[in-house]
Amino acid sequence: MTKSLPMAHKSAHRFGPAGFVREKLGVAAIFTALVVLATGIGNEQSAGQSSAAAQGGPVTQQQIDGTVHVCTSCHGFGGRSISPTFPNLAGQQHDYIVAQLQAFRDHTRADPHAHTYMWGMAAHLSDAMIEGLAKYFSSQPPAAATPGDPALIAAGKKIFTDGISDRGVPACMSCHGDKAQGAGTIPRLADQHPGYIEEQLTNFASMARANEIMHMTSKDLKPEEIRALAAYVGSL
Amino acid sequence: MSCVRTRSKLRHAIIFAGITVAWLVSIQSAGALPLYARQTGQQCAACHNGFPELTPYGRLFKLNGYTFGGGQSGYLPFAVMNFSSFTHTQATQPGGAAPHFAANDNFAADQTSLFYGGEIAPNLGAFAQVTYDGIGRVFSWDNTDVRYARTANIFGAETVLGVSLNNNPTVQDLWNTTPAWSFPFVGSGVAPTPAAATMIEGGFAQQVGGLTAYANWNRLIYLEAGGYASLSPKMQSMVGVNSPTNNAIEGIAPYWRLALQHDWDRNSIEAGTFGMIANVEPQRVSGFGTDRLTDIGIDTQYQFLSDLNSFSVQASAIFEDQDLNASSNPAVGFAANAHNTLRSYHVKASYYYKQTYGVTLGIFHISGTPDATLYPNTSGTNSPNSTGVITELDYIPFNYGGPDFWPWLNMKLGVQYTFYPEFNGVSGSAATNNNTLYTFVWVAF
Repeated sequence: MTKSLPMAHKSAHRFGPAGFVREKLGVAAIFTALVVLATGIGNEQSAGQSSAAAQGGPVTQQQIDGTVHVCTSCHGFGGRSISPTFPNLAGQQHDYIVAQLQAFRDHTRADPHAHTYMWGMAAHLSDAMIEGLAKYFSSQPPAAATPGDPALIAAGKKIFTDGISDRGVPACMSCHGDKAQGAGTIPRLADQHPGYIEEQLTNFASMARANEIMHMTSKDLKPEEIRALAAYVGSL
Repeated sequence: MSCVRTRSKLRHAIIFAGITVAWLVSIQSAGALPLYARQTGQQCAACHNGFPELTPYGRLFKLNGYTFGGGQSGYLPFAVMNFSSFTHTQATQPGGAAPHFAANDNFAADQTSLFYGGEIAPNLGAFAQVTYDGIGRVFSWDNTDVRYARTANIFGAETVLGVSLNNNPTVQDLWNTTPAWSFPFVGSGVAPTPAAATMIEGGFAQQVGGLTAYANWNRLIYLEAGGYASLSPKMQSMVGVNSPTNNAIEGIAPYWRLALQHDWDRNSIEAGTFGMIANVEPQRVSGFGTDRLTDIGIDTQYQFLSDLNSFSVQASAIFEDQDLNASSNPAVGFAANAHNTLRSYHVKASYYYKQTYGVTLGIFHISGTPDATLYPNTSGTNSPNSTGVITELDYIPFNYGGPDFWPWLNMKLGVQYTFYPEFNGVSGSAATNNNTLYTFVWVAF
């Protein structure tokens, strides 16, 4: 097209514009003023919101719906997530969701993904909002099971139901339930992403996720046993 | 002469003062796009795969109007970015690579930007950038995208509906295939670059205002339509982008975008089309009618993202049809032909290890109708054709959070080498003389 395009092209391929413009040095001052002004407005808004959250007053259904929308960006529609980086929340135990969100908020759950994503997400959740989110996700229909290698699943089932007695690994079933459905603050594991289960067992073993009981349970598991367990509960 | 020097000194003093004030304001009270990390309380890697490329969550953050919160949102929503570099070109550039620069081996403080962003009000958010160009030595506004988004249920599925007010066609886009946010994300400002580019590849960046409306249905189908109008020369002066060579859109130029995205396991794939049609007064020359430029783009992106290994590939092709009724008028004399076509192809693949160490290979190719006035060259081919192969190595030490005293610090150290088998219609040493080694330090806080 026209002769000015080479200039434009150059700017397009940088992180922003540039140009050879020799105009108005007042631009700097105008923009600083505009940005400061806009910032003042934005700051007032956000400060108001965070203080409201910290007060922990009642929340409306509309506010809960809005927060659920944010959660589902990673955890999927209805809490049925796509990527194993993000656990399924659909059908998860109500009390477990509450405990985890509080632990993210208090930074007592500190595995790497908790730090990357959930510390921020939970920072301003009030107890009333946590209750609303737990109620919503615990009542959603669970995600579909993940099919896997039958031999691996069978090996996982054996550890899940019988434990590994010579290494003192207890049967998972004794706490998580015969269908891995969980109870109270003990999480549902059924239909969870195998990748997520593997990651958490590894986190418990290394103490990246601090939980004394789960650390004792998982520290002697071999990587292939962790894979088998993950495949089994994911297939339920 | 001395008067000019005094003015120049004064200008630099004011610019320096402006940067210092902006920096002090931000460091006392603000965070990172770091400002988004602050607002959401999340680490850079949540939204970025080797920034600025977006992850699926980063796309939803943008789609929903930059309003997702969570972090320490009481802070001022500012961030500061700077990148500085060293450039070596295969051949020296007699007379200097740019005013105030040597013929080769130049250090430059390429760009310093102040960002404002995040949630302004419920459902309303912004990405705004003011930039000091350390090479051109000018302040100007930069990429700006203010949007309002809401969620509705349409045909039983979540639908995000929104409007974007922005200043650069494709700056509002979610994928890293469209020009405003495609690779290379940075490039030398003191090295030769190919002369030809299609209109949508920054031809009107920051010189226009655009309003588009979009809908994202079921996280599957993205539809967007709107229009762009040129800012008046006076307004362009106010925001620091006026130039006598700027082209002007007559009326409103329609813009469209359609994309399909599907995510499974750790994978995300997108395919789409985008484009723009503009009636243009070349260099604002009126009385000779207008040129009509039609850009149609197709694009695709694939990402595999995990903690250890992340891989992504983007590709796009833009087809431009140029009816140069005004430019080819002998009284105007900007183009020799009344009709030209121009095609621009980009493909890039990158691998990141632990979101920290990255290697990227990109290839671009521009080709089109020779035009003795638009693309004159010494070999007489008068062709706009260029081909470049770009290799880049990156190190991002803080994608999972910066040092304790300033956890929102992000930094990218990169080495980029661009090899030109063909440059502005010539090949051989005339092309490879433009080969460019560019090393940069990119800091945001």
